[in-house]
Amino acid sequence: MTYMLRIMLLLVLLAGVSGLAQDQPVADTAAADTATVDPPAPVTNLTGQDRDNDHGHAIELSWTPSVDDLENPAGDRSVMRYRVMMWRPAFAFRVDTLRQMYEMVRNSYKPIRVYKPLVDSALSMVEQGVTSVAQLPFKVQLPADVDMTDVPQDLLRQTLEDTLETMVGQVEVSKDSVKTFRSTFLDSVDALTAAYATYPNNGRWDSIGAEPPGSGNFRHAGSKDEFSPDFLPDHTDLYYRVDAVTIDPDVYAESEIVGPIQSSGQWYNTGRTVVLVSVIIFTIFTILFVQQARGGKELYVRPLAGIEAVDDAIGRATEMGKPILYVLGLGAASDIATIASFTILSRVAKRVAEYQTDLIVPTYDPIVMTVAQEVVKSSYMDAGRPDDYHEDMVYFVTQSQFAYVAAVNGVMLRQLPATNVYMGKFYAESLILAETGALAGSIQIAGTDEIAQIPFFVVACDFTLIGEELYAASAYLGGEPILLGSLKAQDYAKALFVISAIVGFVFLVLHDITGVEWFTNFKEWYRVSD
Amino acid sequence: MRRQLPFILVFLSGAFMVFQYFVPHESSEFVYEFLLDWLTIIGGFAMVLGIWSLIRVSYDKIQRKRENWGYSVITLAGLFSMIFFGITNWQDGFGFYILQADGLNNPMFVHFFDYILIPIQATMFSLLAFFIASAAYRAFRARSVIASLLLLAALIVMMRFNPLFGAWIEDVANWLMNVPNLAAQRAIVIGLGLGMVATALKIILGIERGYMGQG
Amino acid sequence: MKRSSLLVLAVVVILFAISWILKANQLSATEENYILEAFLITFAAFLTLSVLSFLYKDNPFYKFAEHLFVGVSAAFWMCLGFWSTLVKNLIPRLSEGLSEFFNEPYMPGDYNFFFWIPVILGILLLMRLSKEHGWIARWPLAFIVGTTAGLNFVRYLRSDFIEQISATFVPLLIEWQGVGHFFSNFNLAIDGQFVMMLSNWVIFVGVMCGLIYFFFSKEHTGVFGTASRVGIWILMITFGASFGYTVMGRISLLVGRLTFLFKDWLGLIS
Repeated sequence: MTYMLRIMLLLVLLAGVSGLAQDQPVADTAAADTATVDPPAPVTNLTGQDRDNDHGHAIELSWTPSVDDLENPAGDRSVMRYRVMMWRPAFAFRVDTLRQMYEMVRNSYKPIRVYKPLVDSALSMVEQGVTSVAQLPFKVQLPADVDMTDVPQDLLRQTLEDTLETMVGQVEVSKDSVKTFRSTFLDSVDALTAAYATYPNNGRWDSIGAEPPGSGNFRHAGSKDEFSPDFLPDHTDLYYRVDAVTIDPDVYAESEIVGPIQSSGQWYNTGRTVVLVSVIIFTIFTILFVQQARGGKELYVRPLAGIEAVDDAIGRATEMGKPILYVLGLGAASDIATIASFTILSRVAKRVAEYQTDLIVPTYDPIVMTVAQEVVKSSYMDAGRPDDYHEDMVYFVTQSQFAYVAAVNGVMLRQLPATNVYMGKFYAESLILAETGALAGSIQIAGTDEIAQIPFFVVACDFTLIGEELYAASAYLGGEPILLGSLKAQDYAKALFVISAIVGFVFLVLHDITGVEWFTNFKEWYRVSD
Repeated sequence: MRRQLPFILVFLSGAFMVFQYFVPHESSEFVYEFLLDWLTIIGGFAMVLGIWSLIRVSYDKIQRKRENWGYSVITLAGLFSMIFFGITNWQDGFGFYILQADGLNNPMFVHFFDYILIPIQATMFSLLAFFIASAAYRAFRARSVIASLLLLAALIVMMRFNPLFGAWIEDVANWLMNVPNLAAQRAIVIGLGLGMVATALKIILGIERGYMGQG
Repeated sequence: MKRSSLLVLAVVVILFAISWILKANQLSATEENYILEAFLITFAAFLTLSVLSFLYKDNPFYKFAEHLFVGVSAAFWMCLGFWSTLVKNLIPRLSEGLSEFFNEPYMPGDYNFFFWIPVILGILLLMRLSKEHGWIARWPLAFIVGTTAGLNFVRYLRSDFIEQISATFVPLLIEWQGVGHFFSNFNLAIDGQFVMMLSNWVIFVGVMCGLIYFFFSKEHTGVFGTASRVGIWILMITFGASFGYTVMGRISLLVGRLTFLFKDWLGLIS
């Protein structure tokens, strides 16, 4: 009881401290000077092309900046930005409207049934102080410049309430109109190419983006999805122009028009070559070391405290005659962390079978349950005790985060496991689990790849496998030397990283000393484009 | 063959996903999007397995009168009534429907959601407040150098808005969040990324087989 | 049942009834179904308190809330999955008759017959329930695991490795005009030359040492050992900082729940 009292005291203290917090003063924003300015010189040498070997639906433009660019001390320095304009036929705007209408019709088709409970739940979570979009059961549409991991509560609440209002306000429309809208829309998309070919009639110029002063290129990356507002048709004549805009948006200079340009997708995306090279290098490393291990070469792996603890903990559970609780987390069966956890589970289950201790594996995902049953069963067979295995060791609880936690907490308090092992993906529940286990007096071993949860495990568990150690443990406990081969490959990749970073550092220093631009270009080698 | 076939399937589907990453052609995109849809649909079927396990374990407990078996009756009652409400509807005087419309909009389904699921879920979530305090208490008893570093950093960040310490503490806290935090996160991310990549590769190549129950 | 437990139960039942009556009385002016409404609010408060009682110790009320929660939530997610995945996305592509039955708009398409494949794989997965044919469930599993492994392989290689390399290229000398200039302009301002350079150095050294900590195939001794120790220090500072950062946010969760009890249920605050 005194323990809880101390905790209460701490809570009160912390709440007091946050109460003392003061509001931040609001900075004054200077009023912009909007006096009329002289028209600037236009940009020159505008060219545009489809980049070879990309995913298509994208055009690259480049130009020579205006003489009056802000960055050019020789000119008037009046150009504050470049506005990229594209000619769009009137028909394209009609397609946009159709798309919005189709989306509306489709989405209003009994939206309340599916989404209203989710929005309600999200709203109540927001009221509870959740500010991360990822944690909400409903994906909120927010402006692009908002940090999705920490959204102001008022904004989240407002957006959700608006969404709710729209949903309730929308009327159900008949099935036929969804169908009709869909086919009308798709037919219109097909006609877009013909509409663009009517240039320069029946259309107008539309702003598609802006670049800061000093820049001389722009990538119009459209979407390949007809249902996306950014859809850009391939094999279609497109026309562009770039305006040099001054501080007064009405004063600008138009460039010459470039076009027709067509975009298209190819069989290989060269923007991803660096990934391909990495795939090849990494695969070679892995195969090489796995072969070495297969050939019987001893591979050294440094000891990991968490791994050794696993065996000790199983021994301890046997002595105490208490079960072992193994929690696979909230990941799906295909999440890599869960797969690593399966391998560790197989080792734990084997030991448990040998020592004839009890094993409890409550699961969150039905497929994870299926796989875990399979894993535990074959471990019992390997240990020569197939009769001791029963299907209910591994069972499904529910696919709701906190109901799962409630149930696992119940297991910890009622069955008092000697050891709790948490391996896999964990979110906000990590702390509830680990603290309940610690209060119940179990030895706890944890490992997760969710960086945000590692601190809680570190504080509340006896042993924590940090990040990559989870995968190392999985390779280590898998019991087969060939699994260790990949650890060696990982280390070589890390060494490669260290070398690259040091080379980069040397190049940057050389650039500072010599001023040779080439030394900063190496950054481009690592650029991956879509 | 029974054992080998799944691994051939793993290799083919995995290799295709790697292949499609580099091939932007429409046909590759097309297959890729199909495969993603398939994953969701198979997941939908898997739900049956879970519910079946839940029912079996609860029923077993009740039948054998194991400890706390009475509570399993509550689980089953909650489960079956919620499923019943979820597949039926009798709203708006349209009569009674099974499976045909608006199961999720059934007023009882909504009530269960609003007055059972939401309060318990929110309360479980709010337990975090107590647990973070007790975890903080645990951290405060730190003995080793490493644990003390953790504690010190936690204290600085927790006290960052406290006017008693002056403005410098906020600067230090922000620096901690922006600089060492960035470095450590990056180191962890790289390690994790490589770990995941290596495991994924082992799965595709059939080296890692633990998840099939043959480990 | 013990005498004391019966007493507690009786008190809870009486309190529940009182709350129900009072709440119904209060709501009767504004709500149509005030008796049901009052019951639900009281029940929600009862569940809230039951869960909180877990902090004292495990007890029948918590067990009740926990078991109810598990059953109801499992059914909730199943219904949600059934309607949103199977009915909304699969059925409209599969058959016009079924879409008609479920009142969903049929979505005809040229390649819709492909959607029978996941249906078959899904059914194969259910073969898991059979003792003799359970092994067939490995096929859909192989498909799921293989596809996601392939997806993750390239995705993480790009985001967690290649893109991190270029992100680590930070200039270690900022506005460098020689040692003399550096010392004569030395200050601790957060945007000063020294702090900015120090930050970049800490990032560079921190990433290197952190990575060295994660080296598994080399013994951590000598210089390597020192670097690895610095690595774990930086990791711990980070964990502490993010722990401290979360503390305040979590406390507001509790405040939210207390608001429900005191405002919506008891009506003590408005």
